[in-house]
Amino acid sequence: MSRIGWGRWLLAVPMAALALATIYPLVFTANVAMKTRREYILDRFSLASALRWENIVTAWHSVGMARYFLNSVAVVTCSVALLLLIGSMAGFALSQLRFRGSSTLFLVCLVALFVPFQVIMVPLVRMMADGGLTDTYPGLVLAYVAQFLPFTVFLMTSYYRGVPTEIVDAARIDGNTPYGVYRRIMLPMGTPALLSVGILNALFCWNDVLISLLLMPSADHRTLMVGVTSLRGQYSDDIPTFAAGVLIAAVPVLVTYLFLQRQIADGMTAGSTKG
Amino acid sequence: MLRLWPLLLGVNFSFTGDGERNGTAVGLDNYRDLLEDPLFRGALRNVGLLVLLLPIAVAIPGLLATFIYLRVPGHRLFRGVYFFPAVLSPVIVGAIFNLLLAFDGPLNAVLGGAGIGPVDWLGNPHVAMFAVVGVHIWATFGMALVVFLAGFATLDGALLDAARVDGASLPQTIWHVIVPGLSRTIQFVFVTTMIGMLTSMFGLLYIMTSGGPEGSTYLPEYYIWIQQGQMNRPALASAASTVLFMIMVVVGLLQLGLLRRSGRTE
Repeated sequence: MSRIGWGRWLLAVPMAALALATIYPLVFTANVAMKTRREYILDRFSLASALRWENIVTAWHSVGMARYFLNSVAVVTCSVALLLLIGSMAGFALSQLRFRGSSTLFLVCLVALFVPFQVIMVPLVRMMADGGLTDTYPGLVLAYVAQFLPFTVFLMTSYYRGVPTEIVDAARIDGNTPYGVYRRIMLPMGTPALLSVGILNALFCWNDVLISLLLMPSADHRTLMVGVTSLRGQYSDDIPTFAAGVLIAAVPVLVTYLFLQRQIADGMTAGSTKG
Repeated sequence: MLRLWPLLLGVNFSFTGDGERNGTAVGLDNYRDLLEDPLFRGALRNVGLLVLLLPIAVAIPGLLATFIYLRVPGHRLFRGVYFFPAVLSPVIVGAIFNLLLAFDGPLNAVLGGAGIGPVDWLGNPHVAMFAVVGVHIWATFGMALVVFLAGFATLDGALLDAARVDGASLPQTIWHVIVPGLSRTIQFVFVTTMIGMLTSMFGLLYIMTSGGPEGSTYLPEYYIWIQQGQMNRPALASAASTVLFMIMVVVGLLQLGLLRRSGRTE
C-alpha cells in the first residue's frame, strides 16, 4: 500500500509543475500589466513595484477598450437572450409536442451541429450583405444565434425529454394552452439547463473573433476580442498597455469560471461534439 | 436552416468565378487554382502535421486524466486548473503567448539561462507551426481531460483492483486495463480533438502569426478567411470551404467505421 502511496506523491510533482505552467502565463501577463514600460524593459520577471492601474486606465480610455467592451456586452446579452428564448421553446416543442415533421426538425438540428462555421462563412457573409445586415449589431446577433442555436436546441431538447409527459398532459387537462404549459411549467422546470446553456453561449459569443471580424468591419463596431487583436498592432512597443488590454478582456471570463467551474466544464464537454 | 442552406449555396458558389467572371460557371477552375496555390498546399501540409501531432494531443490529457482518476494528491485542484485555459478566447491565449514567445521574451530568457540559444518561435518558418499547435494543445487539453474523466466514470473499478492485487505496474495497468476499457472515449477524443484543430485555431493564427512567416502557418480555415476577407475572392474561398468540409466528413466517417468495427469485436 505504501508503495502506491509513494507513487502517487511522485506523480503529484510533475502534475503540480504542469498546473503552474497552466497558470503562469496569465500571472505573467497580469504582472506585466502593472509595470511601467521601463520596468518591463529592465526586467521581465520581477514583480511590479506597486499595484499600478495606469495601464489599465490607458487601455480602457484612450485605446477604446471601453467602447469594445460595451459592444461585446450588448451583443452577447441580446444573443444569449434570443438563444434561450428560441432554444427553450424549440426544446419544449421537439420533446413534448408531437407534430408533423418534429423528428425531421430534430434531425436537421443534429446535422447542423456538425457543420463547422468555416464551411458556411462565405455564403453567410453574402447573405448578410444582401440583407443589409453587414456591420450592424442586429446582423451580428443574428449570426451568433444562427451559429449556436443547434447546440442550444439540442441540449434543451435532451433536457426536456426528461420531463415526464404526465406532467404536461395534466397541465393540458387543467385547461392550459401549449403556451401556458411552456410559460408555467417548462420554463420554471428548465431553469438549471437554461442557466448552464446560457453561460456557455455567453462564453462562446464573448470569445468569438472570426464571426465578428467578418461581419463588423468598422472600428466603432468592434467587439472586445477583435479589439484585442487591433491592440497588437498599435501597442507593439508598449507591452504593458497591451497586457492591460488583454487582461481587461480576460477578467470577466476568469471570474465567471471561478464561480461556475463545474457547470462550465461539464457543459463545454457536452458541447464539444459540435463542429 | 440558417446553417444548411448556406452549405449548399457555398458548394454551388465554388463552381462560379470571381471578379470579372463573377457568377458565371467555371467548372473546376477554382479547385485547380487551389491546388496550384502554394499557400493552400502549405495549409494542407499543415493539416497533415496536425494529424501527426494528434496522438500527442490525445495522450497528454489521457495520461493526466488517468492520474487524476487514480486520486493523485490534489486531483480536484488539478482538474480545475487544467481546464481553465479552455474558457479563454483563442485571441487572449494567442496574445499572452505573443508576449511569452517573443524573440526577446521570457521563454527565450529562461532557455538562455540554461544555455540554449534563443529560438525565434514565431519567426522561423520551420518552428512557427509547432509553436502555434503547442499553444493550441496548452489551451485545450483540459477539455479532452474532462471527456476522459467522464469516460473513467464508466470504467469497472473491480478490474483496476484486480490489476493492483496482481501486482501490475502503472504502465501495465494503463496499457492492459485502461486503454481497452476506454477505447470508445479515446476514439471520441481523437475525433473531437481533430475537429477542434481544424476549426478553432483561427484566433491563434490570426493574432500569433497571421499565417506567416513565409506563409508557413496557414490552415484551411485561415486560408478561407484570407481569400474571403482580404483578397476578395469568395468563390475561391468557397472551394476551400468545400475541401475543408470534405476533410471533416472523412474524419467523421473514420469515426463511424471505427465505432462499427469495435462494436463487432465487443
